[in-house]
Amino acid sequence: MAELIPFAACILIAFGIGSNDTSNALGICIGAGVIKLRKAVLLFGCFVLLGIVLQGQKVMNTVGKNLLEVNLSILSISLSISALLVILSNWKKLPLSTHQVIIGSLTGSGAASGVDINLLSLFKIVLSWMVSPLVAFFFAFALYKMMEKTLSRLSLFRIERILRIILLISGILIAYNTGANELATVLGPVIYSGLTSKMPSFLLGAFFVFLGAVLLSNRVIETVGKGITALDPYSGFAAQFGAGSCVLLFTFFGMPISTTYCIIGGISGVGMVKGMKTVRLELIKKVIVNWIFAPSLAFVICFVIMRVLRH
Amino acid sequence: MLEKVFFGGKTEQRVIENIKKHIKILCSASDCFRKALEEREKDLMLCVPDLEREGDTIRREIISTIYEGAFLPFLRPNICRFVEIVDEALDVLEDAAREFEYLDAKLDEEIEDDCIKIADINLKMCEMLLLAFETLLSREDIREKTLAIRIYEKKIDEIKFDSLNKLRGKGVKDFWAGKMISDFISHLTEVSDVIEDASDYLYILNVSLR
Repeated sequence: MAELIPFAACILIAFGIGSNDTSNALGICIGAGVIKLRKAVLLFGCFVLLGIVLQGQKVMNTVGKNLLEVNLSILSISLSISALLVILSNWKKLPLSTHQVIIGSLTGSGAASGVDINLLSLFKIVLSWMVSPLVAFFFAFALYKMMEKTLSRLSLFRIERILRIILLISGILIAYNTGANELATVLGPVIYSGLTSKMPSFLLGAFFVFLGAVLLSNRVIETVGKGITALDPYSGFAAQFGAGSCVLLFTFFGMPISTTYCIIGGISGVGMVKGMKTVRLELIKKVIVNWIFAPSLAFVICFVIMRVLRH
Repeated sequence: MLEKVFFGGKTEQRVIENIKKHIKILCSASDCFRKALEEREKDLMLCVPDLEREGDTIRREIISTIYEGAFLPFLRPNICRFVEIVDEALDVLEDAAREFEYLDAKLDEEIEDDCIKIADINLKMCEMLLLAFETLLSREDIREKTLAIRIYEKKIDEIKFDSLNKLRGKGVKDFWAGKMISDFISHLTEVSDVIEDASDYLYILNVSLR
């Protein structure tokens, strides 16, 4: 019976990823009229599955095996608290990163139960959280500069046509990363604890991400789509593709990083090309505060609960 | 297939072709207006309202095709606005043609010469607008064309103020005769202002995705 707790938590987190992250991936495309919502959700589901099957292994290794040796109690506490925090943050509209919450929860409950935490692995993860938005910043900056020298020289209607195609490619890349990085972070601990085998959990995880996208993503997409189309799709592509490439790069290294933070890095990179004044420093300060707050909160809650339960 | 992917779908092509047709109608109406003015033929001026109606039909078709989903939503408002401005130029030209029909007396020769000059420059501006729009389909720089339109508009302004000065020295039969001539010149010179607005919008459209 206790084994069902991590499964239920995983399902809730996967559902949350589907309802929120579809907008990260395909909100721009839907808002820009490149693809219809139904097709977008289906495409998102397919690429999430493809991402976890083809490239989820390394991130799962890092989170489920290298960081600490998970057992049922650690898994139950950390994933339940993560699910609770993810749901609460969605409800209260606080931008908490699923990755950070899961890593914070795992290390918190692990530390409290006396399990050895691989500090080198933890250091690498935290370092990648710090470096990844900067890498996305430079990727988006370089991409925008490159587009100015190549794409901008084409005729207006050709640019418009090409943008439609590359926006879709960029959305697919983010969807793929959602599977290869985000879903892998959720499933890694469950798989390496021996509770389930890989393929069924991949299929089940991708299914619940898809279900979240089908049932709850439309309202988020509407908001993001309408918000983003007010910006120009040219900059939107550079920011999104810069972020997508950055997440893919870190996925190759097996590092669980947040797509949202990378997109913020990407947007700042594009803003930098247009002038420092366009970068909203207040928003960046807010992101930094959240960046520290999310894993710390998850760590403290799991640590306290685990300590209380052990005594 | 590749052609469709990289060079635009059917709806986009339809919009582009219709915009070209719309501007060509403006050119034809301007040409027709100039000929009617040169030949002092009021019946010939009737082609302007006919062309304006044709322009209205094309404008409706363009807007409905855009609402069917042609182009990225980011571009749609600017394209629609451009089409509406071109249509406004046709409306103003039609107003000038109607005023010409109502003119009782013959235009003073000096004023008539100025009006023909203005009508001729209006036609050149329309042709330049068409060239500027076609530039959006190629790699060429649109700035030269928009600059030429601005120069033409400045020329018309100079002729307009010169004509108004001449008009002040001339006597008129009654209030309505004076109002007709004044309105005719106002509408005729307003066409260039609207075409300049359209070219500005083309420029905005061109830089909006870069």
